[in-house]
Amino acid sequence: MWFYIEEGRKLFLHGQEDYTAAAHAAEACPAFREDVEEEWVTDEKRSCYNCRLRRWTADSFQCQSSTE
Amino acid sequence: MRVLICIDDTDNLESRGTGELAENLAAEIQDRKWGHCEFVTRHQLLVHPDIPYTSHNSSMCFAADIDEQNLPALVKRAKAFLVEESAPGSDPGLAIAILERLSDETALIDFGRRAKQVVLNKQNAYDLAAAHNIHLSEHGGTGHGVIGALAGIGLRMSGNDGRLKGWLRIPANDGVAKVSDIVDHFDLGGVRTISGELLAHDDLIAVGEKPKAVFLNGKPYLLVSPLAEAATVRWQTSSRRELKQF
Repeated sequence: MWFYIEEGRKLFLHGQEDYTAAAHAAEACPAFREDVEEEWVTDEKRSCYNCRLRRWTADSFQCQSSTE
Repeated sequence: MRVLICIDDTDNLESRGTGELAENLAAEIQDRKWGHCEFVTRHQLLVHPDIPYTSHNSSMCFAADIDEQNLPALVKRAKAFLVEESAPGSDPGLAIAILERLSDETALIDFGRRAKQVVLNKQNAYDLAAAHNIHLSEHGGTGHGVIGALAGIGLRMSGNDGRLKGWLRIPANDGVAKVSDIVDHFDLGGVRTISGELLAHDDLIAVGEKPKAVFLNGKPYLLVSPLAEAATVRWQTSSRRELKQF
């Protein structure tokens, strides 16, 4: 799994620079929603890093999707 | 007169982004013939557990040249615009600074830079805005967006922060464009590398998908990176990953 559950939220364990893992996670995610253009941080459109539901933290991001 | 207008925290997970609202407000100012508006810049602020934000904590700022007589109407309309357009659950803030009336730009720029590094509060923002005759107002929720709105003013004023909203639709032949053509077409400060090397006017660039400009030295700049196998074309537009730091 790319994520673990913490207080009902999912934290991405691969930080903010693992573009391959973020793309793989988004590929398999039915909840993926592309964020607005100005918030894209990678060129793969379908990446958790470009997802509207990711909430950046200091080191990584939390997924705000209710989908497990 | 030249003004900076910045908004923050207008969105929720379902709504339009704050950048789109900033563009819409700028378009309305022009439609009403109150003045001419420039591009919107996005400014990244601190991501911290003590700061409420929807997903990224960034504010959106643009400059406008307006007739002084239109300023009261502009302020009134911008406030109403945020009330009408901000998403439920958001904490919108609005800042409008009149550049010629500012006594000390340094304090504002410092506030913007601190908002990228430490947790600031609303009182910090209101105190600074009052001291510098800056309009600062909140329009729903906790109103925490005033902090980012004022910080965005300072960061835009610094001339060295943020990416421009949208991307450059660069006319290219077989995916290649000349620096001078790009600079002239978009009125850029120049084309440069991430480390700061300015390209020559006749250098050629391989144009990637949706290239973005960043705000440096008070102007938009296109950033490029060296091509791995350099031939006639030695540069390509920088990727989103490379621009993330701006």
